[in-house]
Amino acid sequence: MANLTNLYDVSKCTACRGCQVACKDWNQLPAVIEPFRGNYQTHEDTNADTYTIIKFIEHEDDPAEDVTWNFIKYQCMHCLDPACMKVCPQGAISQTNWGAVIKDYDKCIGCQYCTYACPFEIPKYRKRDDIVTKCTLCYDRVEEGLTPACARTCPTGALQFGDRDELLERAQDRVKFLRANGFPNATIYGKLELGGLNKLYVLTDTPDKFDLPVNPKVPGQITFWQNWVQPYFGWLIPLALAGSAVSFVTTRILAGKHGEHAEGGHE
Amino acid sequence: MQLVPEYRADVKRVERFNFVARMTHWGHTVTFILCLLTGLVLFLDSADWLAVIFGGFSGAGLVHRIAAVTLTIFLVIFVIFDFKGIISWVKDLLRFGKNDIIFVMKFPFEFLGFPVKMPPQTRFNGGEKGNSMLTPTSVILLVLSGYIMWFPAIFPAGLVRVCYPIHDIAMVLATFMVCMHGYLGSFHPGSGESFWGMWKGTVRDDWAQHHHPIWYEETYGDKANEKSE
Repeated sequence: MANLTNLYDVSKCTACRGCQVACKDWNQLPAVIEPFRGNYQTHEDTNADTYTIIKFIEHEDDPAEDVTWNFIKYQCMHCLDPACMKVCPQGAISQTNWGAVIKDYDKCIGCQYCTYACPFEIPKYRKRDDIVTKCTLCYDRVEEGLTPACARTCPTGALQFGDRDELLERAQDRVKFLRANGFPNATIYGKLELGGLNKLYVLTDTPDKFDLPVNPKVPGQITFWQNWVQPYFGWLIPLALAGSAVSFVTTRILAGKHGEHAEGGHE
Repeated sequence: MQLVPEYRADVKRVERFNFVARMTHWGHTVTFILCLLTGLVLFLDSADWLAVIFGGFSGAGLVHRIAAVTLTIFLVIFVIFDFKGIISWVKDLLRFGKNDIIFVMKFPFEFLGFPVKMPPQTRFNGGEKGNSMLTPTSVILLVLSGYIMWFPAIFPAGLVRVCYPIHDIAMVLATFMVCMHGYLGSFHPGSGESFWGMWKGTVRDDWAQHHHPIWYEETYGDKANEKSE
């Protein structure tokens, strides 16, 4: 099955945060009230009860020019090759055949390995349930033929939902248009990053102006841990047990041959 | 078949480990094994049967944390009440030299039960020195990385990420050493009185003289007696 994706077009977003509300509504998440930080952003980062946020980012590249004010919807990127899925010791994270990375909260034990394996640190720990939560790409809606809550509610068409290849074409056209109309740095995000994300972005500027990692990578500590330590290193333990068992037998056989150890010592 | 040599109270015995050292040792034995069993639940992906013993994953997590804190407390007690002992332990480890290297080289034969003549050893022989360096280092790494992973929010994310492989590597090394140490300290016939040294605190005088002649000479031998007199 082809991947079904959200395409988010920054240039059409008015930062109304309808998606944030729709997400809370569909997922039945309680409000999380954070203190005012001097800008319009409601939450500093996604949290266990807020799967998606609109970030408000102010940039002043050239002091002679005005401040540029960027909005961006931020949530789980649903990587096509998700690191969180690999590190989960419970197999609680899986990928649907259309590309949503979802969690089985009955299996989740709250170890937070996924939080720190994620290049975006998206999964967040929810203390009251001892689980780690994140955006589900509304797989429960999509599997029933609906669009994700955020995409359904978007009034400006900044969020679209559909076939990934089709949306990529649309994004490329849009980037071409933006580049020709005053946004020379306009770019697509999510096409190639981390081997492809199942969330596509059309950005009016380079990713760093939107608080996104320019070249996201799964942290080296995590790959070392997963690819080397976990599969191979543990074999030392059965080796020690087997060695002791062998020695237990051979020492007693050889003791019979060479005579018992003297009470006080070896010989 | 005799597993551990008989404890003989009727022969002359000398002290090998004081009370605090023994309490720390056995306290760590219990807490380490509890931590190991509950920790393997996560290390071996989906070891559900292990979790069941501790009442499920949250139960195992709770036991892991309680055991870890108790382990830390034993560590603190050891440092507070037997700091001198730690210093002399470390001093003995620093004496690692030619005799220890020969001991370690010949040890595989001794391990399997071939008769081997070993050079005279200090309080801890070459193998024990290796264990004394590796295991406590691993345990300290386990404790530090463990608390960082327990409270990840107050540490930088990069540090938390390093702690995952460190905790696993230290766990495997420590468990490897504990398996070997557990066997060598009890059922291995060549170890003789070692078990009683840690269980009752004393070992047979003749065993000490034979297995750790340098230590014996310095602590209970003629020179030591002259000094104290």
